[in-house]
Amino acid sequence: MSEQKTTRDQPSLNVGKLIRWIAGILLLALIGWRVYQTAFIEGSYGPDTWMRFIIAGLIIGGMYSLIAIGYTLVYGILFMINFAHGEVMMLGAFGGYFIFELLASIKAPSVSDPNMNFLNAYPVISVLLAFIVGTVVSAVAGLLLERIAYRPLRKAPRLVPLISAIGASIFLQNAAQLLFGPQRRQYINPVILWRGTGWSIPVGDTTVLLTYTGTLSLVLSALLMIGLFLVVQKTRLGRSMRAVAENKQAAALMGIDVDDVIGKTFIISGVLAGAAGVMWGIHNGLFNHYVGFLPGIKAFTAAVLGGIGNIPGAMMGGMLLGLLESVGPAALGIDFQLKDVIAFTILILVLIFRPSGLLGEALSEEKV
Amino acid sequence: MRTTIKNGIRFGAIISVVIIFFHLTGFSVVAANMIGGLFGNVDKNTALAQLPTINLAIVISLIGLIAGGSASKNTKTDSWTNAIVSGTVAGAFSGLFVAVFVYLIGIANFLEVDLRSYLPEIGPDNIDYLLFGGKASANFLYLGLLTISGLAGAAFSKGIIRANWRKQVQADSVQSFNAFIQKPGIQKVFNNKIVVYAFLAAAAFLLYFLPTKWGPYWNFIMGTVGIYILLGLGLNIIVGLSGQLVLGYVAFFAIGAYTFGLLTAPEPHAIGMNFWLAIVFAILAAALTGVLLGLPILNLRGDYLAIVTLGFGEIIRILIKSDMLTDFTNGPSGLSDLVQPKWLGKTFNDVNYFHLTVIFVIIAIFIANRLQYSRTGRAWLAISADQTVARATGINTFKYNLLALALGAAFAGLGGALFASRNQFTGPEDHILMVSINVLCLVIVGGMGSLPGVVVGAFVLKGVPELLRDLENYRLLAFGALLVMMMVMRPEGLWPKGRPEMETLYYRKHPKDSPPDGEVQS
Repeated sequence: MSEQKTTRDQPSLNVGKLIRWIAGILLLALIGWRVYQTAFIEGSYGPDTWMRFIIAGLIIGGMYSLIAIGYTLVYGILFMINFAHGEVMMLGAFGGYFIFELLASIKAPSVSDPNMNFLNAYPVISVLLAFIVGTVVSAVAGLLLERIAYRPLRKAPRLVPLISAIGASIFLQNAAQLLFGPQRRQYINPVILWRGTGWSIPVGDTTVLLTYTGTLSLVLSALLMIGLFLVVQKTRLGRSMRAVAENKQAAALMGIDVDDVIGKTFIISGVLAGAAGVMWGIHNGLFNHYVGFLPGIKAFTAAVLGGIGNIPGAMMGGMLLGLLESVGPAALGIDFQLKDVIAFTILILVLIFRPSGLLGEALSEEKV
Repeated sequence: MRTTIKNGIRFGAIISVVIIFFHLTGFSVVAANMIGGLFGNVDKNTALAQLPTINLAIVISLIGLIAGGSASKNTKTDSWTNAIVSGTVAGAFSGLFVAVFVYLIGIANFLEVDLRSYLPEIGPDNIDYLLFGGKASANFLYLGLLTISGLAGAAFSKGIIRANWRKQVQADSVQSFNAFIQKPGIQKVFNNKIVVYAFLAAAAFLLYFLPTKWGPYWNFIMGTVGIYILLGLGLNIIVGLSGQLVLGYVAFFAIGAYTFGLLTAPEPHAIGMNFWLAIVFAILAAALTGVLLGLPILNLRGDYLAIVTLGFGEIIRILIKSDMLTDFTNGPSGLSDLVQPKWLGKTFNDVNYFHLTVIFVIIAIFIANRLQYSRTGRAWLAISADQTVARATGINTFKYNLLALALGAAFAGLGGALFASRNQFTGPEDHILMVSINVLCLVIVGGMGSLPGVVVGAFVLKGVPELLRDLENYRLLAFGALLVMMMVMRPEGLWPKGRPEMETLYYRKHPKDSPPDGEVQS
């Protein structure tokens, strides 16, 4: 932070700042005009389509938020980009998938249907089990990652753990490919959670489908976020996490086992990523060993968007990114292929105009 | 004794996980095949059923030796019993865990449960082989083999440590080498210009004649290594010298390749520009992109810069691929039939391409070397050490950072143009994030800020994997694991850069002023 303060104090740079702001306002005006054009003048999409975009954005945004919290927690404590976090999510998706397959192969004959399997006979338990196993797999992966790849590098220069994380990410991706094969797999959900079924909400003259899987994802991510917030704010562990993020040495002097807290942070972020992975599988269906990569990068973008180190920021950033990504291409009247471009452009713009993120970063003074 | 046994169990667990992982990914079978290749009891057409089981036993025993050795080395006490017990326990426990695993897959095989749709490498044939030809006693075989090899590994490793053999050999060889180097006669030879020129001439001779001998395949591989050296030199200026982390280096590579491609390809524009002119334009376009990207973002903090540039690289790739720009860039199908250079009316073949790459690499190394030791290079050094202090001493950090980015981008542009021209094709899939990561890794594996390090890194990351074609599927896996191990064990790189150069140079010229502890030597 000190660095940026000095830049701000230099009067010579104020002209540059002025130019930047003028450019920003012009850009905003341009975007506004473009949105006005496509949404109201051309009217290419009706309100039902907008509704669909918003729902899809919120659902994907919930998953981004869960992953982004993992980035933000780790960055807040260790000041490192946990590049392998997306892969942790991928492992969670595999965990949930295998549980579904296992349960589907167990017979549970009932009176009405002798061919019933466990998955459809006890769908609530099955989904719960899938989430539990997925989160446990991811939590273990996160913990091992920290132990093997990051802990020995606690005092190394900042590039070193980043490279280690990149290495771990490549390793996990390829290990999953070699173990489980490169083909795409599909989650076979219980019948009551079938993809493409849901409630129809009337909007205007048509209806918009709110899928069960999407609702499950959204509600569950909201619950997990509330839970995380309570853990961080109300429990002893949360207090020690905040203390370690603030100042490791002082925390150690107050009797906090710093290594232990860091390990638990990785477990928590692994749990959230694993839940996001299972949701991804249940909601989107198709996945393979590569599934974690893009959501991982997007989620980091979301964390930066909200202000890194800031947990509410990560939640908001994820939701915002999901929304913008799904509504953006339509609102700007451009190709849907370019939704990733929108995500990254937003990131660049936010960093240029508000480098500390929308809600401000919450990092300690020792390393900024 | 209890800690010794605990230590052994820990190592046993780790090693058993490794062996099970090897079994599940099919690596054990590949390794057994390779052992067979060494012994000559296997040829390329040997089916899995005919593969001798002794090969698997050798693979398992080798792993057991390593397990026992590392477990005994970790005991840190000086007693033979502790070392032996630890190694044997490690071997026995890994054997136990693996035996349980093998038992389970054996049962699965017996019940004819097909695991292949979940674990593709665990088919009935593989399981048979991993059970030493379907023997019921395979569990005991694993247990016995691993226990014995663990014991042997422990004894062997302890023996070596006891005899202080390795340390001694290392110390002796290093000392005698240093003494040899420092003899006045030898120094004279090394400083003799004729000798230096002779070395250079020999190197040039080799570089000139080798490509004609080793065929197109190796020319291609070595050409790729050369291009990656160019990229590494460029990124080394940005990351190694000025200390800014850029993860989207591929963007400049793509700009170079596409500028070259669009100017020379018959489709979609048919400009048909000359090779040499197109290369210049590619370099300029990449450098310009570097400046334009750098202007708004260079004030950002390290990690933000990394993620912004990463995003920028992805944006460039997606834009190239998108339908919106298909008329301009040919979209996902890419640009083909790019122009090849001509010299005296002759079109380049693979040997000439290799020579061209070498010439560019030599020029790039020359430029990078001169830059590093110039005033600009010292400014970068200061910035990477501490930006605030550098600014306080009157260095215009923004200007120098921008210069570094532009120069690095220019190198990438050259590399991209060469790459596109040699392949006569460039498409969006040539410019994925993995390229940036590879280049960054080669800079770091070689040693940040060190020019020989870049060359070593490029050979290690792009050349060596080509030698291991048998292990193609496992290449990236090993690459990831090696990166982690390298960062944990040797983060400074294979060929780290020396101390800040001006300081050493000064002390070499004025030996009287050098610090009393004699610490500062190049």
